[in-house]
Amino acid sequence: MDSLINAAAQALATGNPLLALNRVALRNDAPAMALRGIAMAQLGDLDRARIALRDAARIFGRKHPVAHSRCVVAEAEIALVSRDLSAVPTMLAEAGTQLQKHGDHINAFHASVLEARHLLLVGRIDAAERLLGSIDPTNLQASLRTAYELVSSGIAMRRLRAAAASAALARAESAARFAGISALIAEVQSTGLMLKKPAARLISNCTEQALRLDDVERLLASDSLVVDACRYVIRHQEQVLPLTTRPVLFELARAMAERWPGDASREAMLSAAFGAKHADESHRARLRVEIARLRAEIAELATISATASGFAISANKAPRIVVLAPPTDSPHAELLALLADGEAWPSSALSLALDKSPRSVQRALDKLRVDGKVHAIGRGRSRRWMAPPILGFPSVLLLPGALPGS
Amino acid sequence: MKKSKADIIRVLGPFPGSEQVHGVTFDGARIWFATGDGLHALDPNSGIVVHSHPVAAHAGTAFDGNHLYQISEDRILKIVPDTGEVVSTIPAPGGGGSGLAWSDGLLWVGQYLDRQIHQVDPETGAILRTIKSDRFVTGVTWTDNELWHGTWENEQSELRRVDPNTGKTLERVEMPEDTVVSGLEADGGDYFYCGGGPGGTIRVVRRPRTLPESKARDDDH
Repeated sequence: MDSLINAAAQALATGNPLLALNRVALRNDAPAMALRGIAMAQLGDLDRARIALRDAARIFGRKHPVAHSRCVVAEAEIALVSRDLSAVPTMLAEAGTQLQKHGDHINAFHASVLEARHLLLVGRIDAAERLLGSIDPTNLQASLRTAYELVSSGIAMRRLRAAAASAALARAESAARFAGISALIAEVQSTGLMLKKPAARLISNCTEQALRLDDVERLLASDSLVVDACRYVIRHQEQVLPLTTRPVLFELARAMAERWPGDASREAMLSAAFGAKHADESHRARLRVEIARLRAEIAELATISATASGFAISANKAPRIVVLAPPTDSPHAELLALLADGEAWPSSALSLALDKSPRSVQRALDKLRVDGKVHAIGRGRSRRWMAPPILGFPSVLLLPGALPGS
Repeated sequence: MKKSKADIIRVLGPFPGSEQVHGVTFDGARIWFATGDGLHALDPNSGIVVHSHPVAAHAGTAFDGNHLYQISEDRILKIVPDTGEVVSTIPAPGGGGSGLAWSDGLLWVGQYLDRQIHQVDPETGAILRTIKSDRFVTGVTWTDNELWHGTWENEQSELRRVDPNTGKTLERVEMPEDTVVSGLEADGGDYFYCGGGPGGTIRVVRRPRTLPESKARDDDH
């Protein structure tokens, strides 16, 4: 429509954001600002990119639903890349609908995949899976297909379906290679490494063993009785007993399971469940009460018997009892697990993802920082948290290909 | 004001390697179209590209009978059709433009966001006169003393005939929804050629006849 906008868009498409910036640097109309936003995002200036895209979306407004929606989608992508999960525009779904309605199917798919990624990152796995299920991936262009398969693999990982996760990753990698975008291939490969890293520990008969995701999947499918300290449940195949709201009972069960088939001493159990350093009579009385409660809870799965020095657990049907624990027994293992994705997270996103109060997440992060387990960059609202080593922001943004102004 | 729906006769393209069609013009035999990184000549009968020049071609295209004019970023290039040689350049009015047309020895430059058409001296680039439209201006063309421009606003494109003195809209031809008109050219006869923007096609639209037959005959006297 406009020679400078067309020239800038062409420069962006051929991977020259600086040239594009030069051409629209002095203009404050919506198409110019949208292109400036995308160029700045590609150059890594995500904060200014978001402001430019937001302004462009506002100026385009409802009278230009397609251009407006593309800016919303681009802004959402930047928010996701910078893990600013609470800032992902609420209009993302609406933008996708508008794009679909006006025949911009590519960017509509892009919006859906971004939304699924957002749901996955904030831990709404069911919703992410439903949304992904509504997309037909067969005709997606290669870069979008890669993003789709990455989300699909992420869902499978959270659901402990290692084989499905690997299969989705393999599809992601071949799509990324087809797209020929090296940063995208690298992203798939680093996700693939997560499948090879220890996902949990198996504690059995006082010995420990690191488990990969596929080992975890096999363990849960096996006939063992699993005291699952990653999710605070006790499970035997399909049978799952949640103890999420009964941490004392869970810790008692874990203390006994770690020493199966032997017994756990009273002292060990008191220390595990109540943090008691030495046992007096009132502690012993409380232990008896809690054991009685636990007996009632797990009656279908296991039996607890008193021994000379403490208590022992035995399974009703399973041939063995094991404990599945997080890879590290840090008190903030779940925080570290999120940060292990290598991205820089604002604490608000971590609190959203963990469903914990911002204040307690903040306290935990400060503690982990003192221990050297996490790093912080930036100040105030723009502060981001990362697990070491400090990684840069991903350099490639899969922003909508079509011109925001057209 | 007369209003009608566009009668699309034919769609040319998309053309291999060209994702966009910006400006469009007609040299009497071939349709020339701008694709950002090139200016291409198309045989309208076969629909085949017969000629290509690697010229930065970001918006409007025009033909004066001998030379092609092409908006390239913030300049207007004057180009020899057979060789692609750029023989001169003038600054584009306002630092850029959308549509371009040639008529009566003058260039007419559409400006998208400013919703206006400048009458420009082809030698110096000086703005001689400005016609205000009330819509975003994409392509511009003259035919039979009628000034037409394309528009794209609210996800809707139209071909508009405007009064060259006042800018008042005299006639509107609505394109189907989500059909972009980026460039516009009249073939001097019954058709308009409309550049399709991101779709990478050229649509051939029947030109509505404004005057009834009898009135037209009266004018001939």
